[in-house]
Amino acid sequence: MKACFLAALSTLLITPLAASESVMFCERPLMAQQVAENTWMVEGLKEELSSNNCGHIGNQAFIVTPNGVILIDSGSSPAFGEALKTLIAQYTSQPVRWVLNTHHHPDHFFGNAAFGEAQHLTLASTRALMSRDREALIDNVERLTGRTLERSHIALPDVVEAGELMLESYPLTLFALGGHSGGDLVIMDDSTGVLFLGDMGFYQRAAATAHTPGLHQWQEELNELRTLDAKIAIPGHGPSAHPDTIIDQTAGYLAWLDQHLSAVASEGLGANHALAVEIPGAFSALALAEYELTRSIMQLYPRYEARLLWDTPP
Amino acid sequence: MALSTQAFIPYRLAMTYVALTCLLVTSLAPMAHAASASSAEQDPLNSFMWPVHRERFLGDSPVVFDERVIVNAPGFAEDSGQVPIELDASALEVSDEPITNIVAWVDLNPIPQLFSYSPMSHGLAKLSLNIRLEQASAVRVAVKQGGTWYVGGTYIEAEGGGCTTPGIATADNDWENTFGELQGRLFANDAEQRLRVRLSHPMDSGLIPSQPAFYVQSFELLDQQGQQVATLDIEASVSANPTLGLHMRPSPGGYVIGAKDNNGNRFAIGLQP
Repeated sequence: MKACFLAALSTLLITPLAASESVMFCERPLMAQQVAENTWMVEGLKEELSSNNCGHIGNQAFIVTPNGVILIDSGSSPAFGEALKTLIAQYTSQPVRWVLNTHHHPDHFFGNAAFGEAQHLTLASTRALMSRDREALIDNVERLTGRTLERSHIALPDVVEAGELMLESYPLTLFALGGHSGGDLVIMDDSTGVLFLGDMGFYQRAAATAHTPGLHQWQEELNELRTLDAKIAIPGHGPSAHPDTIIDQTAGYLAWLDQHLSAVASEGLGANHALAVEIPGAFSALALAEYELTRSIMQLYPRYEARLLWDTPP
Repeated sequence: MALSTQAFIPYRLAMTYVALTCLLVTSLAPMAHAASASSAEQDPLNSFMWPVHRERFLGDSPVVFDERVIVNAPGFAEDSGQVPIELDASALEVSDEPITNIVAWVDLNPIPQLFSYSPMSHGLAKLSLNIRLEQASAVRVAVKQGGTWYVGGTYIEAEGGGCTTPGIATADNDWENTFGELQGRLFANDAEQRLRVRLSHPMDSGLIPSQPAFYVQSFELLDQQGQQVATLDIEASVSANPTLGLHMRPSPGGYVIGAKDNNGNRFAIGLQP
């Protein structure tokens, strides 16, 4: 009887609660896929923020450690964060104790509010960008998803340094990069071989370039990440894959975009000529290919013109 | 809340415009009817502001919507302060009849007019520049040839993406340091000399409180003898730091481009092939 009671109690402690019932967000089941031991990802839709997806467009990942759960990115609203929290509880009874935010875009940190008891961490560069753009990004999410956010709940994380990070006894290696947004935290988990790319990596979805300091820097940083010998990588958008597969696709697209913008700008032809291009076959099938290309040209063309025609430093 | 405000203001504004348009159309109906072929003048972009702007910018002259007047632009404004548009009406130049004027406007901008271009002796019917877009709107270009206006246009949605923040293309808060810099390049081929010009200027419209209007009003092109060979008047709906793509007949000595703002500042640069 006593043994039976203990067995029941231990089951209660380690068994995920309500594992059979799917967590719903935006009228769709929210799913986690296991990518390595103790490691899951939640893949967002390969879309722009909209009322159709309620903002669930970016990826999140979580690592279950003996001392608590590490969450990497939290989605684009506190409401999504709550759904994510419920989902994680289906896989572990451990609480989320740490939230790491890979960069300052809204689909990667606006869900932090749901994890009030956890420590929120990001790079100093990322935190500065969050502080700079927070209000404008809240406006964007509200405008595009048609949902109101509680402004005061969108708080800024604490700062963490690049290098080795021990979360209790669980080690991670942090890299301070900036190619995508100016402040990009890339995380390597050596114990499982998983590389968390944030939006340094886009896979099967065209890259967004709004805040890139430059496409060259982005490509160079991606090439450095190849040397890490990770087994699997989780991009900021799109499915997981071997790191080289994701890096090849993102870097290849950026190289093409860079070459295309340079060619048009150096001839003084204007941004509309850059728009009138056929996207190469390798990239035309990427989700949002035309949309992101239009955005990238609008964002970057003036910079290429400044450098190539007016000799002004970028 | 932000959403409801956004939806509400344009709607109210729209209704005002509709009321205004109805009034104008009603009161001007007999005159408009007499002046144009009327039934052929169905606006392909179906904008309620068409009759108002047609009256204002094109007057009594006959008007034809013509696909040979091509207006290229992105389908949506990633940065509504800098939307590149490009006009190409070169198909009209096949006729010997000279093009005397090209005007452009944004139907729903608070300052609708963009420019009035007189190609005169050396300008070709192509032009590109960046514009401001207050909200999603039809953008029009009307080309006057032989007394008739040939009109083209496009529709631009005004909505950036989720991680877009204001002024991404042109974060320029220290314009005083570069004010007045006029830069240019000339690209020559057998058919034309393509001039790309950029003037550092805030182009303040005067619509922002406590910020007086301070904007470039006109550009002119001179040949090597100092003869004026084309002029371009612009309004403050043209973006900050106006960047122009001008297409000119070949001139062995190139061109001088001059500009003037509403405070009397003058700027000039010479470009040789």
